[in-house]
Amino acid sequence: MRFFVAWKGKLVYSQSMKNKAVLIGLDGVPYGLVDDLANRGVMPNFQALKKQGVFAKMAAPLPAVSSVSWSSIITGQNPGVHGIYGFTDLAPQSYDLVFPNFNDLKAPAFWHKHPELKQVALNVPSTYPVKPLNGVHISGFVSPDMEQAVFPAKYLPKLAEIKYEIDVDSELAHQDMDSFLKNLFQVTEARVAAFRYFWQEVDWDVFWLVFTGSDRLGHFLFNAYRNEGHKYHGDFLRYFKRVDEVIGEIAGRLNENDSLLVFSDHGMTEAKANVNLNYFLQESGFLRLDKSSGELYNQISPQSRAFALEPGRIYLNRKGRYPNGAVEESQAEKILEELSDAFSRLDFCKQPVIERICPKERIYSGAQVANAPDLVLVEKEGFRLRAGLNKKELFDKDIFTGTHTGDDAFLFVKGSSSFVDDSLKAEDIVAIIEKTII
Amino acid sequence: MLLYILGMDRLTKLENESIYIIREAWSQFKKVAMLWSIGKDSTSLLWLCRKAFFGKIPFPVMHLDTTYKFPEIYEFRDKYAKEWGLNLIVAKNDESIAAGMGPDKGTKLQCCNELKTDNLKKAIAKHGFRALYLAIRRDEHGIRAKERFFSPRDDSFQWNYKDQPPELWDQYKTKAKDEEHLRIHPMLSWREIDIWEYIRRENIPMVSLYFAKNGKRYRSIGCAPCCNPIDSQADTLDKIVEELKASPTSERAGRAQDKENAYTMQKLRSLGYM
Repeated sequence: MRFFVAWKGKLVYSQSMKNKAVLIGLDGVPYGLVDDLANRGVMPNFQALKKQGVFAKMAAPLPAVSSVSWSSIITGQNPGVHGIYGFTDLAPQSYDLVFPNFNDLKAPAFWHKHPELKQVALNVPSTYPVKPLNGVHISGFVSPDMEQAVFPAKYLPKLAEIKYEIDVDSELAHQDMDSFLKNLFQVTEARVAAFRYFWQEVDWDVFWLVFTGSDRLGHFLFNAYRNEGHKYHGDFLRYFKRVDEVIGEIAGRLNENDSLLVFSDHGMTEAKANVNLNYFLQESGFLRLDKSSGELYNQISPQSRAFALEPGRIYLNRKGRYPNGAVEESQAEKILEELSDAFSRLDFCKQPVIERICPKERIYSGAQVANAPDLVLVEKEGFRLRAGLNKKELFDKDIFTGTHTGDDAFLFVKGSSSFVDDSLKAEDIVAIIEKTII
Repeated sequence: MLLYILGMDRLTKLENESIYIIREAWSQFKKVAMLWSIGKDSTSLLWLCRKAFFGKIPFPVMHLDTTYKFPEIYEFRDKYAKEWGLNLIVAKNDESIAAGMGPDKGTKLQCCNELKTDNLKKAIAKHGFRALYLAIRRDEHGIRAKERFFSPRDDSFQWNYKDQPPELWDQYKTKAKDEEHLRIHPMLSWREIDIWEYIRRENIPMVSLYFAKNGKRYRSIGCAPCCNPIDSQADTLDKIVEELKASPTSERAGRAQDKENAYTMQKLRSLGYM
């Protein structure tokens, strides 16, 4: 039940007696893009907000993919603590590919860490399957089964009524871009309808709302962003204009003391070429596949010293950890040096491909570091590090015109700037919310 | 053709299509086997193969034995293998079984991979099969809607669903490259309800697990630890057919592992993550 009361001469909601926080996530949006579109008038609401708080670049954890970054955003921890290193991983003591999900997250999500705060978490990626919480949770990409994507289940009929979808059907982009875009806008509108419904329905303290269409547009149509002659340039801008309208609507609904954070999980840039890392490892003698021994990573033979998982995760084929493990602990350091040497010499048209080679101890800390990739490669902007096992060439191209960047995600915080510094990271967001509302 | 025009009934059309494909494949591949899980679909396929070759199936029938099947399945297998004079191959991944692989060790996916997939790979290599008959149906699972009657797999079992031979006007590509084996799906057009109506029409023997006992029956059977029965009073073929006509849920709802991984993998692929 809500009613209006007079408060300091203004009409406000009664529940505004306590401060609330709204967290708006824009998946895969770089600082430069949102700044540019705000300046150019495509995102006027965000342009106005920028003057009311701090707007800064933010670093994603490595590797810069949504599953890793969102796990850091909601737990406030680096992957060495939360244990998610990608959309895929290998099962313990095997080469079988598994898909880590919310059950594998080793640190509590903000809504479980703070059960005293009633929260709505709408479309946060990599939070499937949902678990009970004080509030409402509708998980985001990847959520195979709607019934396990919604808590409490009583909201399933309502979501069906508004035609709520977890994600745009990206398969459409491979067939017909017009259908893909139509679907993208439909899914976005259903998401907006869901946000409006839960905003009223639940007496919440913290509201998480994530737009993932931005990342999908980036993957398939990043080349349409700056190219005014591109067939879908207008659609690209229209999407961000629509998201900006929702940001404006939310900002308008908040009271002065409420917190508002708008941020992305990683950045995006135009893709130059795919770099097939397992092909490179094969060619350089680190990886040998035996096709008769199984599917995917089960092809790794005992002669292999290293292999890659997407995007730039390099694992030593360690004895005791994998069925065909060959690398002894005593050899590990030397092989890592050889790998680093090989990757630093990897070039594309005489330009280096790898920007940084990060040993796990240097970028991760915590109880889960043992399961981390031995090296994480950070690419020069525009290269897509891929780990397909049956590739026939080192470099190739495909339908994807955008690729992730890690150091230019963004964060906007309304109001005080005291807790935002130059070395802002995705895992700082939890502390910022805690400082602003608790 | 004339019979089509005159309006042959649906089950007969399906039966004719399947038998045509079974014979077409046999004429191309002599190193071929049929996979028999002892479930309703593959037992129906077995029945169709018997019909196609007038009672005597000219190729081996292979059971991938995980050792975790229901006792009723083993009993049924041995009884009818004898009665129908089958050349039965029981394939087991002895290595994994000796190493203790099971649904409680590792993930269910790992268990399936070792006791079914790896098992099959080893069996194909051991016997040198160039083609396999499988009783999959398009309506079973989202991903199977993309299947073809003759479906090539490479030696690492990869199925490239975007690069399949077209099957227009019932012209099938029955040749496989050297490194490939072909999967033959004679029952692709069948639906779950067609299977049961056909079983009823032909009076095909079925494992008793499909029939309700104490208010429960299995709609889909596999390994005992990974299958759950549904609430049902259907203890006869007539009642099963009636139940299916009224059921809004999917057949494999009681199967634990396969759906989510297939979905996730396809979503990740379509976004370029795999």
